[in-house]
Amino acid sequence: MKSLQKREKGPARDPGGRDNVVYLRERSITMLKKDLILRNPLRILGSEEREPIGDGEFGGVLAKAGVGKTAFLVQLALSNLLRERNVLHVSLTQPVRKVCLWYEEVFHNISQEYELNNTSELWDTILPHRFIMTFNVDDFSVAKLEERLNDLTEQGIFFPQLVIIDGLPIGDESREPLAELKILAREMGFPIWFAITVNPEDALEPGLVPASFEPLSDLFEVLIGLKAAKGRISVLVMKGQRDEDAEDVFLDPATLLIKNRE
Amino acid sequence: MIARVFYRPTETILSYLEVKKMKRDPQKVRNIGISAHIDAGKTTLTERILYYTNRIHAIHDVKGKDGVGATMDFMELEKERGITITSAATYCEWNDHEINIIDTPGHVDFTIEVERALRVLDGGVLVLCSVGGVQSQSITVDRQMARYKVPCIAFVNKCDRSGANPMKVVEQLREKLHHNAVAMQIPIGLENDFQGVVDLVQMKAVYFEGQQGEKIRIDEIPNELKDEAEKRREELIDAASMFSEELMEAALEGEIPEELLIDAIRIGTLKRELTPVFMGSAYKNKGVQPLLDAVTRYLPHPGEVENIALDLENDEKEVVLSPDPEKPLVSLAFKLEEGRYGQLTYIRVYQGTLRKGDFIVNSRTGKKVKVGRVVRMHANQMEDIEEIPAGYIGALFGIDCASGDTFTSPGIRYSMTSMHVPEPVISLAIVPEDNKSQQNMSKALSRFSKEDPTFRVRVDHETGDTIISGMGELHLEVYIERMKREYNAIVHTGAPQVAYRETITQRADFNYTHKKQTGGAGQYGRVAGYMEPFDGEFEFVNKIVGGAIPTEFISSVEKGFKSALEKGQLLGFPVTGIRVVVNDGQAHSVDSSDTAFQAAARGAFKEGFKKAKPAILEPIMKVAVETPSEFQGAVMGTLNQRRGMILGAQDEGDSCVIEAEVPLSEMFGYSTDLRSITQGKAQFTMEFSCYRQVPKAIAEELVKKAQEKNKKAA
Repeated sequence: MKSLQKREKGPARDPGGRDNVVYLRERSITMLKKDLILRNPLRILGSEEREPIGDGEFGGVLAKAGVGKTAFLVQLALSNLLRERNVLHVSLTQPVRKVCLWYEEVFHNISQEYELNNTSELWDTILPHRFIMTFNVDDFSVAKLEERLNDLTEQGIFFPQLVIIDGLPIGDESREPLAELKILAREMGFPIWFAITVNPEDALEPGLVPASFEPLSDLFEVLIGLKAAKGRISVLVMKGQRDEDAEDVFLDPATLLIKNRE
Repeated sequence: MIARVFYRPTETILSYLEVKKMKRDPQKVRNIGISAHIDAGKTTLTERILYYTNRIHAIHDVKGKDGVGATMDFMELEKERGITITSAATYCEWNDHEINIIDTPGHVDFTIEVERALRVLDGGVLVLCSVGGVQSQSITVDRQMARYKVPCIAFVNKCDRSGANPMKVVEQLREKLHHNAVAMQIPIGLENDFQGVVDLVQMKAVYFEGQQGEKIRIDEIPNELKDEAEKRREELIDAASMFSEELMEAALEGEIPEELLIDAIRIGTLKRELTPVFMGSAYKNKGVQPLLDAVTRYLPHPGEVENIALDLENDEKEVVLSPDPEKPLVSLAFKLEEGRYGQLTYIRVYQGTLRKGDFIVNSRTGKKVKVGRVVRMHANQMEDIEEIPAGYIGALFGIDCASGDTFTSPGIRYSMTSMHVPEPVISLAIVPEDNKSQQNMSKALSRFSKEDPTFRVRVDHETGDTIISGMGELHLEVYIERMKREYNAIVHTGAPQVAYRETITQRADFNYTHKKQTGGAGQYGRVAGYMEPFDGEFEFVNKIVGGAIPTEFISSVEKGFKSALEKGQLLGFPVTGIRVVVNDGQAHSVDSSDTAFQAAARGAFKEGFKKAKPAILEPIMKVAVETPSEFQGAVMGTLNQRRGMILGAQDEGDSCVIEAEVPLSEMFGYSTDLRSITQGKAQFTMEFSCYRQVPKAIAEELVKKAQEKNKKAA
């Protein structure tokens, strides 16, 4: 990272003495982006750049309340935004302003962690790829979401390539709306990641789906668990192919950033 | 009989002494602002407050059918449009307390008024509409209150309106504004049936009777509301007990003294960690008196608010002011108005006492002035007083100063922390119709720019036009109207002009020699170095070694660069975000001079700027549109067409709020468009967000237009 900063500060010059730094700024943003993409939060599932779920498929981040599901999903979104993939963030519990704050906070933490400069420019380049939609949880329906999505796509305003849904209550009656969402995701061509709160008594273990979620697990291609224990939050693969060569990852309890080492 | 005769005068004397004491007792002073979304009814509420506190003897409506208009909306234009433009300061008395009220404008274009009011106030009443709830302007106002750490209580107005749902507004305060809002009352009936409120502290029903709601009847809680009242009171106690262990213990024991509950709510409110919510209908004269009780109970007195000044004699060290009337004076002129008797200066005294006949010093200019007339304002009427003690707001006549100036006693040089003044984002060329208008226009402009720091005036040297700048279309429109009405100055306006900026996007070298050595006194100077993008406005770095440019000319070089920044070469707008490093140069023993090096720097700037890939920056506005849900798609379409970047859409059942960032240049005439696509059912607010680079194609178009204009002018 330090060498990158040096390059930004000291512009290169050609032997003729004329400046040849036209694209350095753009190049540094590209490098910053690339560097962050390499820190793909889903690296535990395999290749850094390959998406673990495809269009029409579901991924779920399971954890007990307050463990860091939103922070995890925001990092997942940022990793996609850096690749200029359009992310639609749907929240059923928080207003637009608060969701924006989540992004700003996580992005700020990432910038500090990786000692990034030029962050305001980088932020400006990723912002057009994000769209936040919020609903009151009681008013939310798949039909309503579809209507809103059509508003966006028919006018060419925004075409989501990844959707994040935070705050959808998961219970006995969830199969039908989830199935409808799956059809919508397939028709419109994007994967969906969900934040899922599990029961306090549910045990979270690698390779095992918590009992309370079992009846719905067939709808999901990948399930990631966040388990808080002994002052750390481990990231577990509960369903899906874990890359055996990949290092373990966990969430830093202070910043809620995904890291390899403590 | 004798006893009665003897007793009454004593009583009178006592009450007179009490009044004198009260006026010197800062604990019984409340400086409050009433802030709200436009049309939430704050002017009507203020009007009712003045009526119940006996400051006025009749009630007028905002858009008065009686042709009188509300007392606080004293400008003709305000009465006509039904909006409050300037904040009128007034005071009243309630429950032995003196309350100074500033009525603040609701439209976002006038936020400098709101910001100024909040700067000098100790507490706020956030007025919300029980139908509209928390709207985008409420969010702006709330953000401003947070910036100045103003504790507030909320009043949910218009409970008599169809669709009123005050409890939903309490929820919205929690969800949208993240206030720890608690209902202090519940309504008795709603809409047409709205009769009064249940006070959850006293657990009594309060009805407002008499022609103007002036008679308060306290009664038992209606049976059908008892359960609801118990439930809400429990919520209130739960929230308040977080601020008082005594209350928590009392709650566990099941007996809660009223005072204990009030004290705990007060502590939470002062910390800005609890927002008590009251409700009523100012228009129907219901719920105003309990709100006044709440102002005296829960909002802070001046002694509870820490105010800081900067000591200009001591490296701007922060000094905490004390509301002691005997200490040296520190006061802030926060608003100016040109009245019939000259300039009226609204002033808040933070420390000491401002007395008629005293000499005071303007910290900015160092000028000593004598205090002439001291008055207390009641909208556009006034009463003469002898002094303004610490914690009070009053007004002075005959003091020449600018808005935001600090006045102190001779011997100290304090300045109140500077007020946040946003830069104007829109300009308009104005041309007076005739000579008479020209003279009147000058007078008007000089007054407006003194009164309002966001309103600026300049003359375009090339076209000779007078250019006025401000915070939005409506802001400038109102001033044009005021020129016509108050000064009889008729002016024609050009198309609104966006305040663009120019910048550079890459590093570039310069090496420029200014040489004029043909006859007469010669001029010579060479300046070399480079310029590069910079995060701030401008930075000048001197890296000259070995005296290539003599030290005495370095400041000339800097001056030359600074003057070049005033006008960029693309559109002629100011240049920002640039660092200039000078590392070489040359001087002539005879022909080098201040003028020669200034000219060399300007030439060097011109040379470097062209090579540094210059770009145009444009003001981006944060726009929030509230619309019925059925128009959501159409509204997003209009924002998208205007190069808007939609940040998000917040669905709220029947309505939704769309938040976007849109270039100001695309927002002209948006209100008309929005009205037509939403059948007038949507509204929007906008405020300046940041400057961002103009897309290449549009930048080229702008440059082309500017070149054509220059050609024509030539």
